[in-house]
Amino acid sequence: MSNLLEIEHLKKYFKSARGTVHAVDDVNLTIEEGKTVGLVGESGCGKSTLGRTIVHLQESTDGVIRFAGKDVTHLDKKQMLEFRKNAQIIFQDPYSSLDPRQTVQDIIQEPLRLLTDMGKAEIEKKSEELMDLVGIEKRLRMSYPHELDGGRRQRVGIARALALNPKFIVCDEPVSSLDVSIQAQILNLLMDLQDQLGLTYLFITHDMSVVRHISDYICVMYLGQMIEKTDKKSLFDKPLHPYTKALLSAIPTVDIDAQPERIQLKGEINSPIDPKPGCRFAKRCPYAQHCCHEPVPLTEVEPGHFVACHRVKEINQL
Amino acid sequence: MSENTKNSEFFSIRDLNVQYKSGDQTVYAVNGVSFDLAPGETLGLVGETGAGKTTIAKSILRILPEHAVKKMEGEVLYEGQDIFRMNDTELRKIRGHQISMIFQDPMTALNPVKRVNEQIAEGYIQHHHCTKAEAEQRAEEMLELVGISKDRAGEYPHQFSGGMKQRVVIAMALACSPRLLIADEPTTALDVTIQAQVLDLIKRLRDELGTSMILITHDLGVVAGICDQVAVIYAGRIIEKGSKAEVFRHPTHPYTIGLFGALPDLKKDVERLSPIEGLPPDPTVKTEGCAFYPRCARRCEKCKTYAYEPTNLTDTHMILCCNPAGEEEAK
Repeated sequence: MSNLLEIEHLKKYFKSARGTVHAVDDVNLTIEEGKTVGLVGESGCGKSTLGRTIVHLQESTDGVIRFAGKDVTHLDKKQMLEFRKNAQIIFQDPYSSLDPRQTVQDIIQEPLRLLTDMGKAEIEKKSEELMDLVGIEKRLRMSYPHELDGGRRQRVGIARALALNPKFIVCDEPVSSLDVSIQAQILNLLMDLQDQLGLTYLFITHDMSVVRHISDYICVMYLGQMIEKTDKKSLFDKPLHPYTKALLSAIPTVDIDAQPERIQLKGEINSPIDPKPGCRFAKRCPYAQHCCHEPVPLTEVEPGHFVACHRVKEINQL
Repeated sequence: MSENTKNSEFFSIRDLNVQYKSGDQTVYAVNGVSFDLAPGETLGLVGETGAGKTTIAKSILRILPEHAVKKMEGEVLYEGQDIFRMNDTELRKIRGHQISMIFQDPMTALNPVKRVNEQIAEGYIQHHHCTKAEAEQRAEEMLELVGISKDRAGEYPHQFSGGMKQRVVIAMALACSPRLLIADEPTTALDVTIQAQVLDLIKRLRDELGTSMILITHDLGVVAGICDQVAVIYAGRIIEKGSKAEVFRHPTHPYTIGLFGALPDLKKDVERLSPIEGLPPDPTVKTEGCAFYPRCARRCEKCKTYAYEPTNLTDTHMILCCNPAGEEEAK
């Protein structure tokens, strides 16, 4: 399979009163067509910013974004509309990402009205198909978002993202605000849609069990940088970066007979404002040494397994 | 059973019912909840949004907004005394002193214009009638206990990160060495590595101080790590209750089984998750029979008229279901 999305040295900085926020700092990422890449990390690590920068909700500061072989880093208005047909996003909070004054039908039809030359009847038909596809009952088409529960609202958000038959969807924490029983419904729906429509996902989440369930490849971010990148199996069976290890050990598990041995991290996440060179995790890392103040690139430690850590070989005895 | 009498002497809730008014409608938030807690024991209350978990917690301390409550009935017995029948003076002696609470959202549980040491000291002055200096010294001790340097005692909440704010809230709740701690989703707003730190802290302090605890959460994983007993709540009722081992090894109510099935597993690969179809019931409608009926995989005719007679599977393991799976089927 070919790569649908390729990102090279992508950076997104924000200016703030106290300095420059390095929200996304030199990130490389490729996503194969039809696959799901999971992007995990804690709040403030830049995972949402990365997702939003890829679909051009924010313009990148530096770097290259290639989509289906074409450079889409800088787009004029017309190219942007074309790009939007192929790349869409589902937002975290279905309460604030739907216009409260539009009906379900209006919300789903809006992209069709704006970006296609479909006639009214065609749009009606397509929106009915979409509602069917994501499992929203027809009787709800004139309802407003506040009349729907969280799960249905998220289905509306998904229908809107699918309206233009995109190839690629950024799913930004789409199930984080939902209860477990509803979360499972939405995850199943997203996976079914991927099978039916051949979609490619960048799935952003902080929930490791969700990411394990849905992804083919997983990237772990820490303070704007990618620190580990590999296929799902290696990441969960053999995490190599000390942060990934700690992250995995911190997940509460329902298996009362096998409670994990916790790796306690010192302190909390550093500030992303003008970070010093070197490993950004060093301050909390139990293995940090002098060498960790040197810049550390993401390197292939084992076939297909990329890690950014100076001491990865020693720690894991590779 | 001597164990049981000991239980109810310390803390127990008997047939708690809470209803809210909402416009012309009545919201049936809690419908006949009872449980006991022994000294030093931790009970996990698990359930989804709107199940009535927080309402139960807040009725224990009688801090529900009075104007919204239509009916609050039952008994909340603390060392044999019914909290619901106490006058304000008696209640104030217990609230924040014997029983205290950690709130879900540390961002809103703290006063933004008051220094954290003052906030921690506030309750201590009330209950110990000491000087301000003594209370502030206590506040500094508490901060050190939860892992915050006392140099930061004079700072305001906005100067702390989310995890540290939650530590301040914990310090506040523990300042008077309560005998019972109610923790309402204490780690839900936190990142997973910080959640691990805070849970370990709560566990350590609970064990050191011998505090009993009611932990409210929607996360079964958190319960597995910290609780002795588990109660699963659906539509304002405890539908399954037992020791942690009983509920986690042999979940028996179809809803509990459904909850475990809907969780993505960290170790096993599953093609598809098995969600619980449908939605939680509308709490403004009083239903006949079992409230889980429309979503239940094992529903039958009996369920329509089920009057919630409990089924005791063991001395400690109880479910509210008239058609549970047998031992064989459950596996």
